[in-house]
This record gives sequence, structure tokens and C-alpha cells, in this order.
Amino acid sequence: MPATVEISEPLVREHIVRAVVDVFKTMLEQPVTLGEADGGWPPTPPPEPALATPQVVGTVGFLGEMNGLIYLYFDVGFAQTCTGVMLGMSEDEATEDVVNDAIGELTNMIVGSFKNGLCDAGFPCKLTLPSILRGTNFCVEPVSTARRYLYAFNTSGRRIVADILMTTEQ
Amino acid sequence: MRNKILTVDDSKTVRIIVRKSFKAFDCEILEAANGVEGLAVAAKELPDLILLDVTMPVMDGVEMLTRLKADPHLKGIPVMMLTAEGGRENVLKIAKIGIRDYIIKPFKEEVLVEKVGRIIDMKPLSEAPVKARSILDPADILVVEDKPAIVQQIQEGLKHTTWRVHGVSTQGEAIDFCARQIPDLVIVSLSLPEEAAFTLFRTLRTGAKLKYTPVFGLVVKTDTAVLEAAQQMGISAIITKPIDLGELESKMAKAMNLDMSKRYFDIQGDFLIMQLPENSSPAVLAEAGNYLKLKLAEAVDSGINKAIVDLHQVKTLHMGLIKLLMHTMQTCRELAVHFALVGNTNIATECKGFEDTRAWVFYDTLDVAKSSVGKVAPVQQLVAV
Repeated sequence: MPATVEISEPLVREHIVRAVVDVFKTMLEQPVTLGEADGGWPPTPPPEPALATPQVVGTVGFLGEMNGLIYLYFDVGFAQTCTGVMLGMSEDEATEDVVNDAIGELTNMIVGSFKNGLCDAGFPCKLTLPSILRGTNFCVEPVSTARRYLYAFNTSGRRIVADILMTTEQ
Repeated sequence: MRNKILTVDDSKTVRIIVRKSFKAFDCEILEAANGVEGLAVAAKELPDLILLDVTMPVMDGVEMLTRLKADPHLKGIPVMMLTAEGGRENVLKIAKIGIRDYIIKPFKEEVLVEKVGRIIDMKPLSEAPVKARSILDPADILVVEDKPAIVQQIQEGLKHTTWRVHGVSTQGEAIDFCARQIPDLVIVSLSLPEEAAFTLFRTLRTGAKLKYTPVFGLVVKTDTAVLEAAQQMGISAIITKPIDLGELESKMAKAMNLDMSKRYFDIQGDFLIMQLPENSSPAVLAEAGNYLKLKLAEAVDSGINKAIVDLHQVKTLHMGLIKLLMHTMQTCRELAVHFALVGNTNIATECKGFEDTRAWVFYDTLDVAKSSVGKVAPVQQLVAV
């Protein structure tokens, strides 16, 4: 199916907001709102709280007519809380491995939902396997051909950051 | 036989959620982390349903599905995709290989259970023969009736039981209630407006969690058209208005598969006590009679050889009661169980009027009866006292 629309910042924003809101509502029963919109080009660095404390970052890519990667930043405490809610576990039971897997799956669902929107807009692509980054004060540098979109979301006083890198080049 | 559901997903998180979703059902959850493992488990266990992810390492879900459908032994196993891959073209491509349903992540556990319930027969765990519930255990009864007086009548009539009777007046309220908690039995008025009772019945039967919940219909006896429609639809039982509360309670206990013996039989120390209620109707006597041999045999097996038949609540003697008492005494003699009777003045007096019961002696209290049992042989005791 040929592309029916251009990939623009409003389109990216629409799809990522819908994906994050839907996944949090369905899997965690938590409302999420878009915070400081930081989409567009050139991007600014991820908001400060995303890096100052230990982070669990889920990453899933998509390959096809549109290629890209989405990084979702959770602080460690919030990642544990999300895991506990999603799996019906106490935070003590949510060990590092369990949290990694849960955040990987949450990211997979969010990126899946995001890229399904792109597929239906004429950019067929497939998901890659999730991976997890953990650490403090690190940054992701995109290659110069990639477009970068950053969005911060608020939920129950906590923040999640979606860092989207996209390119149409093969 | 328990249903087997195989979840094939590289995410342990999804496998945990699947397991959690079905924990209230009598089914076994099998797990595999990729297509290769999935095919191996499917060949070994022949599951009743496979929940399959698409993006997985080693072998993805599309390849596993293709191989499954090419295997004559496995191709009949229904497959439901459970994946974040949801673009229209991807879904169509996978659907062509042969699947029964497609759930796109994120997903609600209830939706998963409901969709699985459409493919395989999901029995709630409480239906499984794990532990028989007794008449003394609490149960939640939902009454859907727009006439408050009827709800009140049922609540009053069942207040001596441990059952909680919840009244709602519309189909919508009933569905909301069932979403919050699963009732053990539903009683619905068949005269609700716009055939709401029938719509509610169909809704309850399509959900896996309420598929086996007994649903009783309340109807005026003369409303034969509604009565027939309800029977054809498969409503568990019909209760006619005016309601015979004794009959209702008995039918409810049967429908909930409750062990009724505790209403009549109890072990107190080294005595088996058989107690008959004030209203010893033919149905009550039949019910008590059904448990008689079993309970006496169980008592003897556990080393108890003394029994008290307690009739102090019974108001009047009648032929059915006499027959049950004679049958009880005979069974006690056969099992060499010493016994005594507890009764009230009325019963004792009425017994004098019949040849077969004239010699029966009733003690005033359980304690007096207990102290007298076993002092003489059972047969002699009855004749001599």
C-alpha cells in the first residue's frame, strides 16, 4: 500500500501519544498526559529528570518503509512500580530481570502501537526485539540522517520520556 | 479433562499475564519462549489452544504457525495471535495462514479470557471437583427484579442461610454487578421490560466467567408463553410466583451443587447428631434420607457408634416422618449404632397414637439423650424405655 501521508511531527506526536496513553490505560489502568511537547527539529536533549536518576530504558525498533528506534525512559522506582502493577507482584518480587522484561514488553506494546499507525498510513514495517539499557547520565546520539522527536509524559506525578529516532533512508 | 493453553512468547511478562488471566479457570498453562520451543511443546502436549506472538528470536510466530499448519497432527490446534504486530496488511497475511482470532497488544485480561472462552470451553475453577461446598458456606445470590417487594421477600426468606442476597432492578445494573464480582447464582425476573431477562441470560452465557453460573427465571405460573421461552433458552430453573421459599432454597442449593448434609448431620464429640428442621416437608425428608446411610457409615468408619435423632424443632408427626425415623433406626441397628431420640411434648404425644411408634421414647434435651445412649442395647433401649 503506498504512503498516503507525509511523516510530519504532528503525525508522530498523534501516534506516540495515542500509543502511550492506550498502553498505560490498558495494562496499568493509569491515565497519562503529554507534558512538555518537545517534538520537531532540531531536538533538544531529553528533559533533565530522565537522566539525573538511575534509568531503565526500553528500546524497540521498526524496520521497513520507515526505519526507526524508540527509547522509553523510566526511572528505576517507577519501572518497578509499573512492573508490580502489571504482573500483580509486590515491588520486592519485581527483581531486576523481571523489571527489564516488563519494561521491554511495555516498550514493545507502545512501539508496536505506534508503528501499526505508520503501517496503516502506508509505511509497512516490522518490529525488532526489545532491549534494555540501564544507567545514569548517559545520552543517545542519533546519526545525522535521523529525525529525532522527544516527548515527555506525566502519569501519577512520574515522568516517562519517549525519544523517537526515524529515517526513511535504506 | 483440563484444557491446556500454550502461550508462545519471548516475553516472560506476557506469559505471566496469561497465567494470571486464567488462574480462576480449570486449565493448564504451558509456556514456550519461541517458535521452536512452541512446536516441541505443541507436539508433546497437544494443547487445546495456542496463544502466539509474532516477533520472537530463534523462530518467529509466522514461521511457527506455517509449520504448525503443515503438520497433519498439529494443524487442527486452534491458534490465537497475541502480538503487538497489528498493521492491517500484517494481520491479513497472518490470517491467511489460518488462525482463529487476533488480539493486538496491549490487551485486557478480561478480553483475552472472553476470546479464549469462545474457542474452548473454559470452566471456572470452582466448577472443578476440588472441594464440595456446603450449605453452610457463604454464597452470593444476585436477584434481578424491578419489584422491590419480591427482592425483599427473597432476602427475608433466605436470611436464615449464610447466603448474601444482592438485589438490582435492571439488566445494566446486573451486568455491572457481575463485572465487579461473580455471583454464585442469578435469579432474574422474566417479566423485566423489553425481554431484558433473555438478553441478560445470553450475555451471561457468552462470558467465560459466568458460563456455568446457574440462572433461575422468576415468572407468574400463568404466563406460559414466557415460561416456555425460558425453558427453550436453557434457563437453569423456573421459579413461579408466588414464591415457595422452601422450594426455592432447595433448588438453589442443588443448582449450586452444595453439600446439604450439614443441614441435617453434625458430629458433636463422639456422637452423630441428626437434626430435622421445623418444616420437615417431603422434600426435606427426602434430602435428609439421601444422606442417612452415607453419614452413618462415615461416622462408624471414624469410630463413632452413637447417634441422636433430634426432632425438638418438628411441630407435627406425619407418615413421611415416621417412615424416615423407622428407616433411620433400622440403619442404626444394621451398623450397630446406639441411638436415642430427642423430641417435644407434641411429637411424643402424637407418637402414642400409632401402633408402630407407641413405644418410642423422646428425651427432652440433647444432653439427657447423650447420657442415656449406649446404656442398653439399641433394640432393647427402644422397647424398654
